Amino acid sequence: MTAANRRPEQPRDADHWARYVETLRVTGLREGAGARNVEGRRPMSPLQGFGKMWQKTFKVRLEGAKASPAEVVRTWREGFPELSGMGKGFLVPSGGLVPGAVALLGGGLTGVMVLYADEESFTYMTPEGHPFSGWITFSSHVAEDGTTVAQAQLLIRANDPLWEAMMPLGLHKMEDMTWQRTLRRVAAHFGADGRVETKVVCVDPKRQWRHYKNVRHNVLIRSALHALTAPLRWLGRRPGG
Amino acid sequence: MAVRHLEVEVRREPKGAVLDLRGEINGFAQQALDAAYAEAEEGDPETILLNFEEVDYINSTGIALIVGLLARARASKRSLSAYGLSDHYVEIFNITRLSDFVSVFPDEKSALSEAKPA
Repeated sequence: MTAANRRPEQPRDADHWARYVETLRVTGLREGAGARNVEGRRPMSPLQGFGKMWQKTFKVRLEGAKASPAEVVRTWREGFPELSGMGKGFLVPSGGLVPGAVALLGGGLTGVMVLYADEESFTYMTPEGHPFSGWITFSSHVAEDGTTVAQAQLLIRANDPLWEAMMPLGLHKMEDMTWQRTLRRVAAHFGADGRVETKVVCVDPKRQWRHYKNVRHNVLIRSALHALTAPLRWLGRRPGG
Repeated sequence: MAVRHLEVEVRREPKGAVLDLRGEINGFAQQALDAAYAEAEEGDPETILLNFEEVDYINSTGIALIVGLLARARASKRSLSAYGLSDHYVEIFNITRLSDFVSVFPDEKSALSEAKPA
């Protein structure tokens, strides 16, 4: 829906949010893009995961850059695969990263849904099976001294016990490095120094044991099982097989 | 359009504390929300209600702030409920799955009478 045909009583944020979906549908990607770990999976909020809930904030001041927050966010959204370092492994649907769009990560190992997007921010929501359940918001604002700041903020918890066990074994660090690197690239794109501030807060130290069954969607387990059963599928497809 | 920064008033009712929210719930709302929630907690109420009747804008950062309040409420075994949400914001609570964890009521009376501890 566009602003032109929006009903006058609708709030200003109405066009920025994805529509409600029970499960994700992957559309607008090239044929053969493996989406089996994402198609039909439910989007997950940080409340539905298993592990401790973390808020991670990464920000970089774009010292000397003239870019406005809207320009930073537009550039970030349009160039997300390159700026995040995920490159060709981040598959953007043909309609772009608009609210409700589903993009694939790791060449289809997992994905994200665009939950929200406006001029100065956009948010991804993760699906079942992803390492984390939650939201990642990329935004930009002007600091009190007039400097434009780019920020990535995660509100996440490990999706299942397996991912939670991997958090202290490097998953935390890997996630931090991904977004620190992304912000350095955003800063470099605008010709600014890339010193990234990182703030990590444990919002909820409790593990949600009632959600341990989320492990059945774990993309590592499902991908391993898919690979192990490939010979059986091949035999089944043979003529007379 | 000018940004209407969030203003929050805390009311104490016999069955719980009510946070009357007015304006926009976005990244700028954090300080006001946190301060009001802390004030509401002072009386150790069983239930804290968020009144959305005069909220006219919520972005994804704002929803994340509400999740933060929910985490605080659950840590102290308090119930956090909401009322006065327009159809649009009920849908946002559904999209974000917040409605699975925050009870949503049409009005203050029903919220105070039906809210259960977290």
